[in-house]
Amino acid sequence: MSTNPMHQFEVYRIGPEIKFGNLDLSFTNASLFMAISAITVLLLLFLGTKNKLLIPSKIQLITEMSYTFVAKMINDTAGSVAKPFFPFIFTLFMFVLFCNMVGMLPYSFTVTSHIIVTFILAAIVFVGVTIIGFIKHGIKYLELFVPKGVPIALLPLIVIIEIISYLSRPVSLSVRLFANMMAGHTMLKVFGGFVISLGVLGGWLPLSFSVALIGLEILVAFLQAYVFAILTCIYLNDALNLHH
Amino acid sequence: MKNLNEISARLEIAKKNIKKKQIKNSGSNAASFGKAMKISTELVAAVVIGGTLGFILDNWFDTRPLLIIIFFFIGVTAGILNVIRSAKNMHKNSK
Repeated sequence: MSTNPMHQFEVYRIGPEIKFGNLDLSFTNASLFMAISAITVLLLLFLGTKNKLLIPSKIQLITEMSYTFVAKMINDTAGSVAKPFFPFIFTLFMFVLFCNMVGMLPYSFTVTSHIIVTFILAAIVFVGVTIIGFIKHGIKYLELFVPKGVPIALLPLIVIIEIISYLSRPVSLSVRLFANMMAGHTMLKVFGGFVISLGVLGGWLPLSFSVALIGLEILVAFLQAYVFAILTCIYLNDALNLHH
Repeated sequence: MKNLNEISARLEIAKKNIKKKQIKNSGSNAASFGKAMKISTELVAAVVIGGTLGFILDNWFDTRPLLIIIFFFIGVTAGILNVIRSAKNMHKNSK
């Protein structure tokens, strides 16, 4: 195995090369682990809802808890108007959560440690929320960029500031998830490398650090999925209930 | 039916225990860590967007490096505004 801590983030092709003009659509390890995460979510939800018992089994309990967790989150942040968007936010939360968690398994690949993956997810949220805002409020949605009670002279500057603040949403959403996952996994690999290079005598200290770091990483994996979903709810709330 | 009554009694006790725990954990490390990450990335993202926007506009109007400087500072302002807003939101939620 390579000792380079960045080696784990390498994307390589699995199977035959598929090309459409300049587009490379080959199946990579990233696509494989995305598929694994999606199938795990589907399997969990399928098994959890197969036998509906009054006293839930463990797997049914997990499914029901994840449902109520997301439902409560949407209700608390965006109110009952956002109920129709439950399937989208639930899918987003479960997918990000399982990508992060599958990445915690040894020899696996963390899909969310690539900025293009997190940026596409954030861009879907951003474009979707903007479209919903325009559908719901029409041209009045642009009032989001004009806060009330600002003197006319300052208005051009304030509008530019508000637009930049609005555009920075997908960037902050994607960079947060990507940076957390990448930094955590690099750190784990570096400490793992210390264990090898210090040998049997000195390796115990970095090993104990590694164990603690894995606990922290599992926490971060859950937390980042949660933050991603809750910020989507907050942006949705801004689009649905226009107030400033 | 006796079985069901027993379960509901046990549920009540479990719920009470969860409430007690939640009060204790309200200032837990995990939540604070999430908040810290949220605020820091918000500041950085707005600066990056401001800089990029300035760079693109500079290329359009051939005014390099005037607009990138202006938009960098506007980005910083937007970032600080974002941080103040999310801090206000957290304050409202924690009350």
